Parts: sequence; C-alpha cells; structure tokens
Amino acid sequence: MTANAEARAGASAAEGQDAERREVFQYALRRFGVYLFTLWAAITVAFFIFRLVPGDPMNILLGNLARAEGRQRDAEEEEALIAHFRQIFGMDEPLPNQYVNYLRKAILGGLDLGPSFVEYPTQTKDLVFRRMPWTIGIFTTSVLLAWIVGTGLGALIGWLQRSRLSKLAVVISTLLQITPVYLVALGLIIYVGYTWRILPAGGPYARHLQPEWTWEFISSLLTHAILPMLSNMIVIGAGFTLGMRALMISVLGEDYLTFARAKGLSPFTVLKDYAFRNALIPQVTALAIIVGATLNGTFIIEVLFQLPGLGTLFVQAMGLRDFNTMQAVVLFSIFAVLTLTLIVDLALPLLDPRVRRTA
Amino acid sequence: MRNPSIIIGSIMLAAMIIVALAGPPLVDQLLFPGERPGMRGSYRPYQLDSVEHPIGTDGDGRDGLMVFVSSIWPSLQIGIIAGATSTILGVVIGFLAGYARGRLDTLSRILIDMVLVIPTLPLLLMLAAYIDRWDLYKLSLILGLFGWSFVARVIRPQVQSLRERSYVDLAVLSGENALEIIFLELLPPLLPYIGYVFSLSIVGSMLAEAGLQIIGLGAGGLPTLGFMIAKGFRESVIAIGLIGQMLLPAGALIYVFLALNLINTGLDDVFNPRLKTTIEGGD
Repeated sequence: MTANAEARAGASAAEGQDAERREVFQYALRRFGVYLFTLWAAITVAFFIFRLVPGDPMNILLGNLARAEGRQRDAEEEEALIAHFRQIFGMDEPLPNQYVNYLRKAILGGLDLGPSFVEYPTQTKDLVFRRMPWTIGIFTTSVLLAWIVGTGLGALIGWLQRSRLSKLAVVISTLLQITPVYLVALGLIIYVGYTWRILPAGGPYARHLQPEWTWEFISSLLTHAILPMLSNMIVIGAGFTLGMRALMISVLGEDYLTFARAKGLSPFTVLKDYAFRNALIPQVTALAIIVGATLNGTFIIEVLFQLPGLGTLFVQAMGLRDFNTMQAVVLFSIFAVLTLTLIVDLALPLLDPRVRRTA
Repeated sequence: MRNPSIIIGSIMLAAMIIVALAGPPLVDQLLFPGERPGMRGSYRPYQLDSVEHPIGTDGDGRDGLMVFVSSIWPSLQIGIIAGATSTILGVVIGFLAGYARGRLDTLSRILIDMVLVIPTLPLLLMLAAYIDRWDLYKLSLILGLFGWSFVARVIRPQVQSLRERSYVDLAVLSGENALEIIFLELLPPLLPYIGYVFSLSIVGSMLAEAGLQIIGLGAGGLPTLGFMIAKGFRESVIAIGLIGQMLLPAGALIYVFLALNLINTGLDDVFNPRLKTTIEGGD
C-alpha cells in the first residue's frame, strides 16, 4: 500500500468517525427535545389535575382551620379570608393566567413553585430540596445495586441454565419478583427490625444523634439505610435477574456464539465478550423503563421506614391538605424520573452502536 | 392449550375465588352459628389463636378469620374492575396509535411514552386527597385510569406489525373500512395477547390498592386484604402474637399474584409462537 492510499484510507476513516459523531449528536439532541416536551406536558397535566378536580382546596383548608379553632366563622368573614388566601397563592386569576404565571415562575423564577400552604411563607422548593437527598439516595443506590447484582446473577444462571441450582434460582427469583415491595419491607421491619432486633428499622438514624461528620453518626445512618434499601433491592433485583436470564438464553442460541465457541475461544471469553455484552443492551433499556415504577415503591418504603424523604413529605402534606407542597413533590419526582430516564437513554449509544443508527 | 402453568394458575385462582365467595357465609354459618363474627365488638379484642378463633380476634373485636375471608373478594373485585378499565382504555388507545401512520403515529408514541414514565403514585394520592368518600368502584376506576399507558405501550407495536401483513392489505382492497379492519382483522388475533395484558393489569391494580392502604391513604372503609395488612401493622399484631392476621392476607395477595403470574407465563408461551405462525401462515 502506498503512502498516498494509506492517507486516503485514514481520511475516510476520520470522515466516518465524524459522521458517526454527528449521528450521536443528532440522536442526543432529538432525545433532549422529547425530554423537554415531556417535562412540559407532565407539568401541565399535574397543574390541571390539581385545579380541575372538584373540591376547592381553600374550602378544605378553611374547614380544617374552623375545626382546629373549634368555632364556625360567619359567611362574610369566611369569604374575606378565602379572597385573602387566594390572592396570596395567586388563585384569584382565571385559570389560563394562573397557568402562565405558574410556568413563568417555575422556569424563570428559579423553580419558584409558590409557598407552602401550611408552612407559609417557606417555599415548597426548599421543603422539597431538604427531603430530596433521602429519596434520591435510597432510590438510586438500591436500584443500581439491584441492577448490578441482578444482571450478574441473571447472566450466570442463564449461562448455566441446565444446572439444578440455576433452576432453583429461577423459582426463587420468580417468587420474590411477584412479592410487592411493601410486603418485603413489612416483613423485614417486623422480623429483622423488631422480632430479632438485628438491624434498626425506623427513622433515618439513631434518635439521640445529630447530623454531623462523625463516625458514630455515619455508621448509624448506614445501618438504618440497610433495610429500606434491601427491600427495594430484593424485589427489583429479582426482576433484573429474570430479565437478564431470558436475554442471556436468547443470545446463547445465536449462531455467532456457536461460531465463537468453534473458534476455540475460552468459555469465559465467550461469556464475557460475546454473550454478556449483547444481552446487556436491552438490560440497560429495562433500567430506564422501571425507574418510574420503582419510585412509587420507594415512596411507600420511606413511609414505612419513617425516612424523611419526598414520599413522607407528600403523605404529611396530604394529611394537612397542603396542595402547593403536594404539587411540588409531584413535579420534582416527575422531573427526577424523566431526567434519570434521559441519562440512561443517552448512555445507550455508548454501549450499542446500533442505537445511533436506528434511533 | 395443555399448558401446565395455565392449568395450575387457573386452578389456583379458581380456588381463591371460591374461598372469596363461599368463605364468608361458610365461616359465619359453620364456625359461628347465631353469632356475628364480622361485627365490631362481638368479642374481646386481641384474643390469641384458639379453637373458637383460629387466627384470633382483631383490635375491633371481630373474628380474624371472618375478617380475612371477607377481605378477599373486595380485593379481587378492585383488581378486576381496575384491570378491565385500564385494559379497555389501553387497547383503544393502543389500536388508534398503532393503526395511525405518519405524524399522528409519532405523536401518539411520544404521548404513550410520556405517560408511561410519569410516576403514578403521587398523582393517584393527589386525586385521593380530593375524594372524601371512597367506594370500591371509584377507587377501581381511578386505578384503572392510571394503568392504561402500559397497556397501550405493548398493544401498539402488535397492531403495527399486524397492520403490515398482506391479509390486511387484502381486506383493504376488498373494500373494508377502518372499523371493519380493526374489529374483524386486527382484534381477533390479538385477543389472547389482550388477555395476557389484562391479567398483568389486575396484578398492577391490586398491587397499587394494597400499597395505598399500607401507607394509610387508601379507601379507609373498604375491607380489602391491603387494609387488613395495614391495620395489622398499625396495631402491631405480630408483637401480640397474632401472626396469622398479617401472614394470611399477605400470603393471599402473593398467592393471587403467583396464580396470575403462572397464567401469564403460560399465555406467553402458548400464544406468542402461535400468534406468529397463524398470522404468517395466513399470508
């Protein structure tokens, strides 16, 4: 090959890379567009659900107030109060204006979602930010750990599909997967937490401690986190195990695997580079799909383990009929789910070149 | 149709339905003739397991077994009504989305994907906050309204692939209109698949209902398995020693899920290859 031809080959390879990079960029851009659109639509749906459902939050709020004070206001006083509150919360305007104001404040006003009804004038945003680390921490850690363990285990039992142990693992995972996450949580709380007293099963950390950077506090935090995360992990991990096993078995039937074996590659190389890698891609997509459903479970787990996360905040706000706070929690959780899904989707082309072309 | 998991699952489910329907009158007549085991204050509360009360009595002075057997049917009803609602909605939307082409198709796909990723529990709770008096039907319908996106998501590609088969082209050429094509050509081969999705929706709805009960935001007055579990947890019946009042309803839920899961696995095994071969064979 002459130097000239080599240079040409190099140039066309660079061009190919450029084109590929452009494709990836376009895919990312399109995906981001869908993300923004979905986010907008979700905010809109949440906004209107709140306002179109019968029952005026103000009336409920005043009813609560009257009950708390143990006296009934006369109609005139009540109306004045309602008008006053409506003005504070920007509810005296027609619905379309409210909607525009809401969007404007949320986007341009630095996520200003209005003050809390109950803890007025605290911003709902601050309430949410204070609780968010708990939810995100429990949720992402347990889902990622479940994914890693489940994918590894699933690959293994798929690879060894004929062994007796692997069949037993399938039965156990099926049983665990169909068990609702809150029943697992209840079981862990009752048995591990209270009956056998192995691990703490309530609250974020031991009651006598203050949040600080000491070993005592951090270890207390971690031991309190084990059971909530375990409940999430058992159920989600079992699902991932079964999913990965099925993927693995279908990949194992492919011709290129027979060929790889015929080439004399070691079983480990075949497993690692041929079977596992190809089964992994749909498994990452599965991660993106279950994020939303798993957040539901995490909310319930927070409530059961008395962790101060978003789920608990929501339940408390609901008890007090604090609609602004409830709405803020809904919006932030939608935002979190959409963003996590986006991250997984954007990471996909790195794993699988085919996605770049087909997406 | 001789698929063992469908048969075992159906028998398990049928047994549960029999217990749900025949259980309450049987327990009432056989174990407590002339008494009112399901009434509050009939007995001393929190009695331990005994011959008269096999799983003890609950905090309201009712017989635990009676409470358990009469909780099963409402739970199943919620699952069936909510599952049917989301299946019907999802099938209609999935068919519209799958049958449409071009921009409408893209738009519907985005819409379905969008609703699919929205976490439903907070929205559900939000609605729950507005409803003062829950009844079984209201709760079921609302649960159903939140479950359709999953159904639509899986039905749409099935419709799309069917739509491209040549027997559908033939139907178009022979002058059938869109409705005829949907109901006569596309729907029948998908019925088994819809059955599969329906059963998944039942599981999803029962799961959601019990979850709502357990965090204390469900339909408080409804005697469901989830409510019994939540009540047992709040009254810490396990610490008292009334393990059955918690394990029985939890076990019943898992049992129903297992039965439906078996039916599903079977349906998937049997109908998926058949779906492909009959359609391709009809080409």
